[in-house]
Amino acid sequence: MKSVLIVDDAMFMRYTLRRILEKNGFQVVGEAENGLLGAQKYGELLPDIVTMDITMPELNGIGAVQLIKQINPQAKIVMISAMGQQHLVREAILAGASNFLVKPFSDERVVQVLNSI
Amino acid sequence: MDKSLSKEPMLEMFIFENLQLLEQLEQTILAHEKERCLENAVINEIFRIMHTIKGSAAMMMYDSISSLAHAIEDLFFYIREFHPDEMDYSKICDMVLDGIDFIKNEIGKLEQDQEADGDSSPFVENIEQYLLLIKEASANSNLINEAAARPAGLQKKFYISTSKSPPTENIKRYHALIYFTPGCEMENIRAFNLVHKLKDQAEQIDYLPADIIENNDSVEFIRENGFAVIFTTHLQQEAINELFMKEAFIDSLDLRVMEDEEWEIEQLRARNQIILEDEEPTISNNRAKETGANLHSGGSRQSLINVNVDKLDRLMDMVGELVISETMVALNPDLTTATRLDNFHKATRQHRKIINELQDIVMSIRMVPLTMTFHKMNRIVRDMSKKQNKNVELVIRGEETEVDKKIIEHLSDPIMHLIRNAIDHGIESPEKRAGLGKSPIAQVYLEAKSEGGDVYIILRDDGAGLDKEKILERARARGLIQKPDSNLSDGEIFSTILLPGFSTCDEISEFSGRGVGMDVVLKNIEAIGGTVLVDSAPGQGTTISLKIPLTLAIINGMRVKVGNSIYIIPITSIKESFKAQRGDVIVDPNGKEMIMVRGECYPVLRLHKKYQVKSALEDISKGIIVIVQNDSGSICLFVDALLGEQQVVVKALPKFIGKIAGISACTLLGDGRACLIIDVANLINPSKS
Repeated sequence: MKSVLIVDDAMFMRYTLRRILEKNGFQVVGEAENGLLGAQKYGELLPDIVTMDITMPELNGIGAVQLIKQINPQAKIVMISAMGQQHLVREAILAGASNFLVKPFSDERVVQVLNSI
Repeated sequence: MDKSLSKEPMLEMFIFENLQLLEQLEQTILAHEKERCLENAVINEIFRIMHTIKGSAAMMMYDSISSLAHAIEDLFFYIREFHPDEMDYSKICDMVLDGIDFIKNEIGKLEQDQEADGDSSPFVENIEQYLLLIKEASANSNLINEAAARPAGLQKKFYISTSKSPPTENIKRYHALIYFTPGCEMENIRAFNLVHKLKDQAEQIDYLPADIIENNDSVEFIRENGFAVIFTTHLQQEAINELFMKEAFIDSLDLRVMEDEEWEIEQLRARNQIILEDEEPTISNNRAKETGANLHSGGSRQSLINVNVDKLDRLMDMVGELVISETMVALNPDLTTATRLDNFHKATRQHRKIINELQDIVMSIRMVPLTMTFHKMNRIVRDMSKKQNKNVELVIRGEETEVDKKIIEHLSDPIMHLIRNAIDHGIESPEKRAGLGKSPIAQVYLEAKSEGGDVYIILRDDGAGLDKEKILERARARGLIQKPDSNLSDGEIFSTILLPGFSTCDEISEFSGRGVGMDVVLKNIEAIGGTVLVDSAPGQGTTISLKIPLTLAIINGMRVKVGNSIYIIPITSIKESFKAQRGDVIVDPNGKEMIMVRGECYPVLRLHKKYQVKSALEDISKGIIVIVQNDSGSICLFVDALLGEQQVVVKALPKFIGKIAGISACTLLGDGRACLIIDVANLINPSKS
């Protein structure tokens, strides 16, 4: 069972993702509400996969990807983006994100992406 | 959205979180509106909150909310990136506040299990038009500047493959045509991601469409024609196939090895077409840094969870029961037969201590600061002063005062009514104020403080004050006052404005209505066991104080014995107690007893008479006198004995008993006996309730 860390500043999104993931056989090992905490928790938990929101307080998703990549260059990070964030997603990919999802997303898409990396 | 996900908890969280965000946003805007400019941090905050709402609403398929949030997000994105000079801050704030209202309203519908069926398109249009307007305005003024400032990195660079080595035997050039799963969105970025990954494995990567990032039309192109990528690698076809197919959202892949000639031609074409994809994303990087820096100042939020109030109520009840059962154990009648109980008492003391702490914690969980309720009023003041052309400043003090959640629910409406009334009827127009030599900016103070077991909420304005004569005249005309004028205190006269059917203002305004508000205030406050006091000085303003209990659930009470019954008197209303001598009692011609204490005369109320309790002490010197007081006066209660102080869990009188004059509620004692809590206000002034 793959372990997942959810990083998102919206409680609603964290909750939604957790439900989808747990229903589909992933183990959500932690949640963080901003990029800084996300990177910190990554270091503590070393999950298999991180889902990373882009727009967040303290440190945005791209900054967090950079931090996490410093901890583990092999880290698997899926960006959670929204329409209109093409440039940010691109930056995230350059920073080392493995893939991305676009809100709104369905269960299947989440599972598909997380299984692909 | 997947139907199999149960919506309820999700919906609940959606409502909870977004309402909180909207509230936060509203406060931010109101706080900064006055400064006539929006700092970067504020713009960022608005942008971020709208972004979050957009995402959540889209997940829940509330398109009207999501599109409105998107429009506001776009507007603030533009403001953040380009800092246009020509901006009407007041208008922007209005638009955002209108937007907030709309979304709040929609969420309100969801809360009541209705459909969020509002149409946000007029708002969206409005915002989009305005965005267009400022874009044009700044384009005109900044045309030259912008062109100069445009970094060279944005210029399109053409790419000529860096590696010129011809294919050797193992290295082949492949052509792949990829179609993505329909509806997976951002196909261009997916393509970019694919290329980015391919870089580890392949060289000389070229692709079509070339400008996948810069050109948004590339999305359409990829959807229709697929994404073509050409690359050189030593990997075998199967390995490449696998590499691609592992990627998410790839619908179909057409992979083939290219022939040499084909390669040559393609390479020539590529020279003119393909963009260097290693190009430094100058602009975006700068933006990211800026964003990061700004976000840092966003401040930290406390980590909170939301709990259903019903659960808290149940927890509170259980703790109440625990307190009672603890007393039942500690004061168990069987213990009187035991001889040595030292260890038992030691244990029960510890037990009690822990229960007290538990009780405090549970109470504190239910306590909510008045901050939210108070800050909501900023909006009321803003809207009203704008519409009425009055310049009003709201001064808030003591917002951190905490009150039981249940009580707070009853406070918002009364305070709102009072503020509306104050601005509508109390505060004069700026011209009039200038004429009177008052500051043109009127002030409304909203203050909270706790004193003992009560919280005072004081609302003071520096307006015209109440017109005593007019009130009297009106009250008489409506038959609200029977006593002659000379017997009325100022307080009594002013209090008549709280009575139903009283209105001093002849005009009806959009905000405070027909004067139905004030009696609603009284009703609401009395419902939570509070009182309302009105005071006013002509020309200087009006002060309305709401006295409300800290909590409804547990009070400190004094157990008093009357005959075989035990009553509870709320400690907060006890002023003093003393033994009286028979000679202290004065009897008036009507047979009413009074006691003189330090020159003040108090009526005596014998509780055994009042409640018709038999076999009680009749002799005043044998029992004890307890002086209780409230706002309207003091009174001596005659009881048999004081038994001790105790925290009691207030329980409403059962419905079949109904309301009894002089009794506010009941509680359970440690030995399981029910016991009545005395309604001091009613004993002092029976006519009031």
